Amino acid sequence: MALILEQLKKSYPAPDGSVVSVLDVERFEIADGEQVALLGGSGTGKTTLLHAIAGIVTPDSGHVAFQPGNVDVTALSEAARDVFRGKHIGYIFQTHHLLPGFTALENVLLGMSFTGRSPDRAWAKRLLVEVGLGNRLDYRPAKLSVGQQQRVAVARALANRPQLVLADEPTGALDPTTAQQVLDLIRQLCREVNASLILVTHDMSIAQQLSRVVRLDELNKRRQEIGDSRQE
Amino acid sequence: MNLFELILKQIRQRALSTVLTVFSITLGVALAISILVLQREGKNLFGQTEFGYEVIAGVKGSGLQLVTNTIYRIDRSPGNVPYSVYERMTTDPVFKPDVRFAIPQCVGDSYQGLPIVGTTPQYFGYNPDGTRAADGKRFEYRPGQSFEIVAPGKVLTENRFEAVVGCDVPKLGKLKLGNQFQATHGFPIPGMTPDVHDEKWTVVGVLAPTHTAADRCVYIGLTSFYTIFEHGEAEVQREQQRQAVGALPPATAPVEAHEVHDHDHEHEERHYDLTPDGTIVLHDEVLRAREVSAILIKTRGDGGGLNTLRLISNLNMINDVMGVNPATVMREFFANFLDAPIMLLLAIAVLVTVIAALGIMTTIYNSVSARMREIAILRALGATRVRILILISTEAALVGLLGGVIGFFIGHGLAGIGSVYMKQTFGQTIGWYRVADVELLFVAGVVVLSFIAGLVPALKAYRTPVSANLVAA
Repeated sequence: MALILEQLKKSYPAPDGSVVSVLDVERFEIADGEQVALLGGSGTGKTTLLHAIAGIVTPDSGHVAFQPGNVDVTALSEAARDVFRGKHIGYIFQTHHLLPGFTALENVLLGMSFTGRSPDRAWAKRLLVEVGLGNRLDYRPAKLSVGQQQRVAVARALANRPQLVLADEPTGALDPTTAQQVLDLIRQLCREVNASLILVTHDMSIAQQLSRVVRLDELNKRRQEIGDSRQE
Repeated sequence: MNLFELILKQIRQRALSTVLTVFSITLGVALAISILVLQREGKNLFGQTEFGYEVIAGVKGSGLQLVTNTIYRIDRSPGNVPYSVYERMTTDPVFKPDVRFAIPQCVGDSYQGLPIVGTTPQYFGYNPDGTRAADGKRFEYRPGQSFEIVAPGKVLTENRFEAVVGCDVPKLGKLKLGNQFQATHGFPIPGMTPDVHDEKWTVVGVLAPTHTAADRCVYIGLTSFYTIFEHGEAEVQREQQRQAVGALPPATAPVEAHEVHDHDHEHEERHYDLTPDGTIVLHDEVLRAREVSAILIKTRGDGGGLNTLRLISNLNMINDVMGVNPATVMREFFANFLDAPIMLLLAIAVLVTVIAALGIMTTIYNSVSARMREIAILRALGATRVRILILISTEAALVGLLGGVIGFFIGHGLAGIGSVYMKQTFGQTIGWYRVADVELLFVAGVVVLSFIAGLVPALKAYRTPVSANLVAA
């Protein structure tokens, strides 16, 4: 699935009344099946950008268009965005964000629960086998190592065979060896389901492994605006 | 993973708080259901309007005491009326046109704590000669229901030392067919030496179950009842006293109120003779002084109209005698004394349930506060706000349903315990297992209430800002 961002802007009111711009992307594209790294440190608006693409936050202006179909998620209602996200976008968080009361398999199945389709239990199991957790299906997150937890999160993100995977510092909390393993898994599974990948990282060595690297500070031309948010 | 599985997972995650919340709902529902059952069944039992007779005649005083003692065998007998009152029911032209059956009963003695009742074979639906009365000419304790004696037993003969016992007596009093027993004067309290009469009765019949107080009564022939020395002697003395002062037939003190004391039986003089075949022949002084505790009267006509009213009116004109309609007495008793406390109890039960529903709200609200991140994750995975709202409210409704269903069964169980107690106390059971629409409506109401209570935390979850909670985690 191809993605085009145009004139995407987002700002938040600061406690002192001023308005803080966190996102100002003029244009960004990613081709179908392409794997792109967004390189940037903290405070560069990377999470807000991913949330805007996923429809978790609504941008103040601009468009987030998916092809084919030319679906602009900014024009969808919140409920429609939720459903679209569930069906077409896989999200991997920096910390795994697994539900503690659910087993590894249940966490993956959970990712299939909001699409309106019947959960594919066999696919969920296969994903866990592919991430090396075939023998940990019934383990709860607390019984898994941090690396294993992140692998479950990867499997969950791929559960619905998404067309776009957004990975927000997926290796940030891992040691180098595990980080590499997780990165390889993400890339391999994305290729397997033909999903485009946007991976945000502050680690150049990770970013360089993807087909394209985009520096966030160049992409996001945000600036702080002084003003009274209450007048916005 | 469907919605239901998700909810069960959430509930299981907080098993302890869920169990406590379910318990509080269960408590309220069980209380309410047991009150509803006891109220309904109690009314059916005590407020029954279907007796086989329309009038109970007895000593003037408390109609309620007369009815509860005569029908339910609880409370003390209010006292006696002269035997002549009973005789007049079937001979006096004033009463005869209104009376179809008149059954005398005498109470005051006991066996193993079970009441002994002196009566006639007609009470059991038999003729004086011991043959079964014809259909339509049989006394019925409830419309269409007359006593049955289990084979190979037979009905008692009024003027012999014979007894018929209720179906529970063989178990409660260890009295079986063919057994002999002696009556105890009154109902001695624990620690008191019982005054056991000399006469011995033989059980000649056991009644089939009636689910009434009759199941735990020991019935003896009316004539044989007067052979008991204290009865005959006391009545003779009272009659002599009456004649001495020229008084009208008075009410007498309750028989149970007689002091239980040791008699010097050697100086007692019997007031009857026994023929060689065992027939009792009462002496004249006893015959003249006989009294009865109550007279059960089946009126002629349609059973509830003019005959009854006229009979009661005529009975009330006799000195120290009154007639009451048992259905009216029990209905008034319920309306005047029991309805208000029952409504109060019900209101308390409803209050407990509402508080329990508020407990659901608090518990789930707190859990939602602790689960903001989880809710945000579910939203990120594609769950809509409405889906989250339904998830939380359904969880609350499910907790309410669980508590409601458990409470429903426990409530009926409590009513069942009440039924056992009632059976032990006065021999009657209630339909504790019967389910009324109002009970199902109550449980449904609890589920709706719980769902509404769940809406408060559900709205909090609904408003959960996804982005902030994902980042905060």
